Amino acid sequence: MAKTIPDNLEQELKQVIANVIGREPEELKPETDFWKDLGVDSIKAIEITVAIERHFKIAVRDEEIPKITNFGQAMKVVKEALDKKNK
Amino acid sequence: MSKQNKRIVITGIGPISSIGIGKDAFWNGILKQKPNIKLEKCLVDGELWGEFYTHKIDNFDISKFGIDKDKLNDIKEWKEGEEIVDLNYLIAAVKLALDDSKLKFDSESNDIGLVLAHENLGLMPFGFKISDIAYEMLIGKQKKDLSKKEFFDKFYCKFLKSGYDIQTFADLFHVTRVFNIHNYSLFINNACASGLYALESASQIIKNNQAKAVVVAASDYPDIYKYLWFKQIGIYSPDGKIRPFCKDSNGLVFGDGGVGIVLEDLEYAQRRKASIYAEYLGGGFDLEGWKITVPQIGNTSYQRAILKALDAAEVDKEDVELLCPHGVGSQPIDYYEAKAITDTFGNNSKKPLITTFKPYIGHNLGSSALLETAILLLSLKNNIVPPTLNYDSPDSKFNLSLVKKQLKSELKTVMKICCAFAGFNAASIFRKI
Repeated sequence: MAKTIPDNLEQELKQVIANVIGREPEELKPETDFWKDLGVDSIKAIEITVAIERHFKIAVRDEEIPKITNFGQAMKVVKEALDKKNK
Repeated sequence: MSKQNKRIVITGIGPISSIGIGKDAFWNGILKQKPNIKLEKCLVDGELWGEFYTHKIDNFDISKFGIDKDKLNDIKEWKEGEEIVDLNYLIAAVKLALDDSKLKFDSESNDIGLVLAHENLGLMPFGFKISDIAYEMLIGKQKKDLSKKEFFDKFYCKFLKSGYDIQTFADLFHVTRVFNIHNYSLFINNACASGLYALESASQIIKNNQAKAVVVAASDYPDIYKYLWFKQIGIYSPDGKIRPFCKDSNGLVFGDGGVGIVLEDLEYAQRRKASIYAEYLGGGFDLEGWKITVPQIGNTSYQRAILKALDAAEVDKEDVELLCPHGVGSQPIDYYEAKAITDTFGNNSKKPLITTFKPYIGHNLGSSALLETAILLLSLKNNIVPPTLNYDSPDSKFNLSLVKKQLKSELKTVMKICCAFAGFNAASIFRKI
């Protein structure tokens, strides 16, 4: 049976990313630029991807990784991956 | 002698690179520390399509290598008149390596083996051909009322043979035929780590009594297709400078080239009084298998490959005196690599000397690990450690200290490591005899 997208997806995702970058979940606004505002670099971007994949049991495509530059983008990537998985 | 006790040595090196063709010119180029970087322009119908910096081989001429002209013409005919540069590099590298080894073999038939390595030989001419044909058919001279079926019939028929021919076995056939090699042969593709996989395969061929000697050859000819993709995924240096493990590293730069290396059974080499560069002690291989283009930060696959190599070679990590990492100058890949090195060897004082060669010759992709192994073997033979060029702003987060100035050092045991696309992680160990 297909799994649905968790109701608390936003909060779960914030917590996952915050854990990786050592910040509070509240700091992650949709428009917050991970790189400029939170000091994320290409290495942390991969660590974030690894954590997201493990937590939500999804696979993020290679070309999606550089797109995860703010929380809004991260939500989009995770939702799309969950949708694909649940089809 | 039993299979397990066979010792494998290297007796021939035939490098082809932007800093020199042939062992001596190549090594002199390394010592001079003068990379040959050019701005490559790709024109389509006279219009600039793209441009990129690359370590360029000047004046390569396959006819100058003393190779049977009829057989070269046979290849050209098969390729419908096209000169495939990287195939020619492969052939030349095999010839140079065989010449350097001074192996004597029957000109009609011999028992040398061959292992080739390349990522995607023939891709560029195939891509161009498809593009040209599609352009002509869609916009050029064809009737507009062409049905879809008619279009598909005509379109695919135009490149049926070319499409089939990008399979690597055809080029393995061409190179073996040039040298009348009829023994065990193999074509492998493990991305940038292909060369180290090829060395291990060659070693196994000899250990399994399939051949007394095997030539391992690899080449690559980076082109606009690869450049556009590498640029898109953000790992191509816009200023044409590879800066491994530096604060300001901004990606890799391609380099043309190839290399051939001859492996032999030690006893066989000694009987024919061959000059021996080093013994191939063994390799370690691990496939991370996470993504194609990025390594998984935090995964220990690369360290496992290094540890497997130490185990296979029966070498203590303290005995490795010189280490040559992949060193592509991309932050995540460098970080992944630095962590594997530190986790294996410990902190700086315990690490071997570390130097990287891509700033000399560029990133030769499928042939890079083997070409850099050639430099490492020449370093071992000459007891000289070439410094890492462009190492001007070391980044402390990597916890590595690379060789900055040329060193003279009595070397005995050296290691080449590579973390390739798709997670092909590999390590090879060599020892002076």
